Amino acid sequence: MPWIKRTWKPHEADEWSKEDWLAIILSPLSFILITFGLALSLFALTSGYIMLAAGVVITIIMFWIIGPKLDAISSEYESKQQEYLQELEEMQRWEEK
Amino acid sequence: MVQFTGIDYFWAIAYIILTVFSGALFYKLGKRSGADFFLAGRGLPWWLPATSNFATHTATDTPLWFSGFVYKFGMFGVWQSLFAGWCAISAWVSTRIFRRSLAGTQAEWQTQRFSGLPAELLRGWIAGWQIALNMFIAGWVGIAMGNVCKWAFGWPLWYGLVFFSTACAIYAMTSGFWGVIIADVQQGITMLLTIILVSVWASWAAGGPQEIVAKLHALGRSDMLNPFHFTGWFSGEYPLMWLITMIAVPFLGGFGMATHFDWFVEAQRIQSAKTVKAAAYSIWWGAAAIIVRNSIWVIAVLAFFVLNPDLTHEADYQLAWFRIGFEYFPPGLVGFFFAAVLAIHFSTISGILNLGAMYATRDIYHHYINPAASEKQVIWVGRFMTVIVLIGSFFFGLMVGENVTKWLFFALWLMIAGTWLPNILQVIWWRFNGWGYLSAWVANLGICWLVVWILPAYGLLPELPQYYQFWLLMLLVAVIYIPVTFLTKPDDMERLVKIYVQTRPIGFWGPVRREAERRGLLKKIEAIDLAAERDAAKES
Repeated sequence: MPWIKRTWKPHEADEWSKEDWLAIILSPLSFILITFGLALSLFALTSGYIMLAAGVVITIIMFWIIGPKLDAISSEYESKQQEYLQELEEMQRWEEK
Repeated sequence: MVQFTGIDYFWAIAYIILTVFSGALFYKLGKRSGADFFLAGRGLPWWLPATSNFATHTATDTPLWFSGFVYKFGMFGVWQSLFAGWCAISAWVSTRIFRRSLAGTQAEWQTQRFSGLPAELLRGWIAGWQIALNMFIAGWVGIAMGNVCKWAFGWPLWYGLVFFSTACAIYAMTSGFWGVIIADVQQGITMLLTIILVSVWASWAAGGPQEIVAKLHALGRSDMLNPFHFTGWFSGEYPLMWLITMIAVPFLGGFGMATHFDWFVEAQRIQSAKTVKAAAYSIWWGAAAIIVRNSIWVIAVLAFFVLNPDLTHEADYQLAWFRIGFEYFPPGLVGFFFAAVLAIHFSTISGILNLGAMYATRDIYHHYINPAASEKQVIWVGRFMTVIVLIGSFFFGLMVGENVTKWLFFALWLMIAGTWLPNILQVIWWRFNGWGYLSAWVANLGICWLVVWILPAYGLLPELPQYYQFWLLMLLVAVIYIPVTFLTKPDDMERLVKIYVQTRPIGFWGPVRREAERRGLLKKIEAIDLAAERDAAKES
C-alpha cells in the first residue's frame, strides 16, 4: 500500500488520517511562502523566486494529497444530506423528536 | 482634492448603476426561499463563494491599515495581515466539520453542538452579538469610505458612509445572498485588476522594482525588504514574541470555529457551497486570493514610501494606496480607480448587511419569535432586518469616526482573545460543555474591556503591547470557563452522538465515539456506504 492513500472508500474517508495532517501542516507553509515569495519576487529578488516556487510546489502536493479524500467525503455525505437538512429544519421550528 | 473629468464621472456613475442593477437582477432567485435569500440555495460551485470571500474581505478600510503597516514596518508589517491564515487549516478541518453540520449560522451550530438551556442561551447570545457586530463592521467599513471621500473630495464624513452603504442595501434587500454573491464576482474581478494596475503604476512612478530596492538601500531602510528582522524576544519594535503570536493565533485558530470574526462571514459561504469539497476549496482559494492581493499591494506601498519617505502621521501614510490611484493616475483613469474603490466598498457592505439580517431572521425571528413562519415571511423579515442593520451601521460608523486602525485592532484581536481557545475546544473536545462556552463569552466581554481600556485608563494596569494583551486575556478568561466546565454536567449524550456521527469532528471525542459504536451508528453508516458502492458498481 502506498504511503499516501489516494483511493478512498467513502466510510474510510470519514476518519481523520495522516493525509489530513499532511494537508494541515503544508497549508500554512504554503500560505507563508506564497505571501512573502510573491512580495519579494515583485522586487526581482532571488529569495522571493525561491520562496514562491517552494510555495507553489507545496500547494500542488497538498491538493494532490487531500483532493481524493475530499471527493470521497463529499460523495458519502451527499447521500445523507437531505435527511440532515430535514432534522435541522425540525430543530429550527422546535419540532425535534 | 481630486478633480474629476467627464469620463471620470461616467465611470463612477456607470459602475454604481451596473452594480446595483446586476445585484437586483437576481431578485427572482432570492425570493424563492429563506435558503435562497441567505445561502443562495446551498448549491454553489466552489469558485463563487471563493470569489465572494476575496471580495468581501477586501474592504475600504483594508488598503488603509495594510498601507499603514507596510509603510511603517516594511515586509515585517505583512505578518499583521496574515490573519487570513486561519483559513489554511480551517479549510481542511473546521470548514469540513461545519459544512457537514449544515448549520445556517454559527448561532445555529450552538444548538447542534450543545444541549438544553445553555445551547439556546448561546444561540440567542451569538445571534444578538452578530447583529451588533455586523452593524459595527458595516459602520466601520462605511466610515472608512467616509474618510476616503473626505480626503479625496472634501465631503463631510457622513456622506461617504450613508450614500454608498444605502446603494448596497438596495440589492442586498431585493435579492439577498444571490445578489450579494453575483455582484461579488464582478466586484472581485474589478478590484483585483485595479490592485494590479495600481501596483504596476506605482512601481513605474518610482523607477521600477530594482530602483525601489536601490532607493530603500540609499534611505538606509533595506530592513523594509526583510520579513524576518527581529529586535529580540520581547523588546524593540519587532519582537519575536509578537511574530509568534501573529503566526500561532490565526493558523491554529483554523482548528476551531469563530476564532476570528471573519469566520462568521465565511460560515455563510461554507454553507452556500454545493458539497463538502466545494466548501473546503472555497475557503482555501478565497484566502489564497487574499494573501496574493497583499503581496501585490506591498510593492505599491513601498513605491509610495520611496516617493514620500518623510510622512510621520499615520493618517497621512495609511492613505498610500488611495493616493497612488487618485494622484498618479491620469484623468479618465481616476474615475475607473474610484469605481474600483466602490467595488471594494460595495462587496463588503452588501455581504455584511445580508449576514447581519440572517442572524436576526433565522436565529431570532424564525427560531424564537415565529417558528411557524412561512418562507415568504422569512424573506420579508430578512429584507426588513437588512434595513435595520444598515441604520445601525450609521450610528457605529459615526462613533468610529477617523480612528479606523485603532478600532480595527481592538475588534480584530482583543475582542475575541478570551474566546479563542474555547472556540477551538468546542470543536475538538467533547467534554467542553455549553455552560463552559457561555461563561467564556460572558467573561471575555467584561475582561477585554477591563484589560484594554478601563484599567489602563485608571492607571491600574500598564498599557501592554497587543500580543501581551492577547495572551493575558486568554489566560484570565480560562480561569473562569475551565472550572465552570468541570463543575457542570457534560452535554446530553444523545446530542453529542448525533453531532459526532453527522460531522465527525477532530480531536478528543473518545467517549462519544464509543457510544456511537455501541449504538451501531457508525456500522450503519458503513453499511449504507458499502451498499451504495455495490449499487454504483452494478450500474457501471
